[in-house]
Amino acid sequence: MRIVVDLNRCQGYAQCVYLAHEVFRLNGQEALTYEPNPDDERRLRVERAAAACPVQAIMIDRLDGAEGSTTS
Amino acid sequence: MVEETPWQQALRYANRANPYPFYEELRKTPVARQPDGTYVVSTYREIVTLLHDPRVSSDPRKRPAPAAAQAEGSEEQAAEPIREVLTEPNIITCDPPEHDRDRRMMMPHFVGPPHAPHLISDLEPDIRRIVDGLLDGMKGKNRIDAVDDFAYPLPVTVICKVLGVPMEDEPRFHHWVETALDALDFGPEAASEEIRSRRAGGRQAVQEFARFADALLDRYARQPGPGMLSAMANDNGPEGRMPKGVLASNALLLIFAGHETTVNLIAHSVLTLLRHPDALEKLRRRPELIVPAVEELLRFESSVQFWHTRSAVEDIDIAGTTIPAGAPIFLVYGSANRDPERFTDPDRLDLERRDNEHLGFSQGIHFCFGAPLARLEVQIAVGEFVRRVRNPRLVEDPPPYRHNQIFRGPRHVLVDIDGIRD
Repeated sequence: MRIVVDLNRCQGYAQCVYLAHEVFRLNGQEALTYEPNPDDERRLRVERAAAACPVQAIMIDRLDGAEGSTTS
Repeated sequence: MVEETPWQQALRYANRANPYPFYEELRKTPVARQPDGTYVVSTYREIVTLLHDPRVSSDPRKRPAPAAAQAEGSEEQAAEPIREVLTEPNIITCDPPEHDRDRRMMMPHFVGPPHAPHLISDLEPDIRRIVDGLLDGMKGKNRIDAVDDFAYPLPVTVICKVLGVPMEDEPRFHHWVETALDALDFGPEAASEEIRSRRAGGRQAVQEFARFADALLDRYARQPGPGMLSAMANDNGPEGRMPKGVLASNALLLIFAGHETTVNLIAHSVLTLLRHPDALEKLRRRPELIVPAVEELLRFESSVQFWHTRSAVEDIDIAGTTIPAGAPIFLVYGSANRDPERFTDPDRLDLERRDNEHLGFSQGIHFCFGAPLARLEVQIAVGEFVRRVRNPRLVEDPPPYRHNQIFRGPRHVLVDIDGIRD
């Protein structure tokens, strides 16, 4: 699967990190880094992490930018 | 008799099951001054703006007691039992830099170390086991209470484990929390004989609860044990150990907020889905929708309807109004989450809602500390309820509600069922 995080939106709430720390990581207080192509077996966790983002900055499998989705 | 404002009407117990028509009226004045000098903010945009405004304090010690506080039955008076017992701040009632330091010190004990914050994810098997047990316990019954039999036992069992609070103490703190909440009223009924008569009991309950937390922390300081409270009482981290009073105040907050709000969210989720059979059926067919569904349920029936400890530290111009320095500010999350300026068709339940930046956990520096745990609990609990309970039907609609307006939730949700699937 493929994910993109809009780092301009990200405010460092770290909710994704607590739900899928193998994929998302906070360096210091606010700088988020992430694995852009996590294994498909992590899908449920990544979907939970995306849904939990208070500013909805995580996009999953959004390749063309035409159809935004955090759930499918 | 002076006509009541939409806010005062929203707070009346008779409107607890459905405050939304009054919120709609309230949003016509996004920042509405109330007769007691409180500024009530009800629109999404203004609430988010104020949540990020450093001129807004969350510390009740920073606001002068308004003249109205002298008047019997005012909000100040009603909130007094908790304020006079909880003299030390906790993370929800203090500002930076203390807030940031204390929250930073607490967080690793809750989620795990910064390089691998795994503690919440690790709880999933325990949560599943508890939920399985609760649903198994309904076998052979044809009527259940979704609050007492399901929504309450899960979060309380989980938070006791996370914090290291002995489960055998649960009946005691359950009683203290209920007694204190029933005495806490922010609306016109605070002046009623009934509420006034509850106040002494509410004060005593908070005192006993505080003594209980003190004793537990003392015990853990002498003899470390499992859970977050013991870890905090013995913290040797780089920022040192929290002073005992602050630690005790935060312990009370964690025990209380760690289950009370989740109980209401699970109860409201069951209630809401049973009111929307199409949504229930969709979730049964597509269980993966539980993740966005819980976000929608957080928006639709927020467990914390508003928050009451904020005030302006200087004059704030917003939405054509000036909130004067010192004025209390109530941010009504429950109204923001139904604001049509932000959410399309806000009174419609849409389990697949896009762009659902709800305020069910607030935003800004006081964003819900327990959110990752609450989400996991509710996703598992509601997902399994939908999957396993055969033909659930609401017995009573609306169900009876608990008294308090902030932590709004049904006291019971009776449901008739045809059995429990394996």
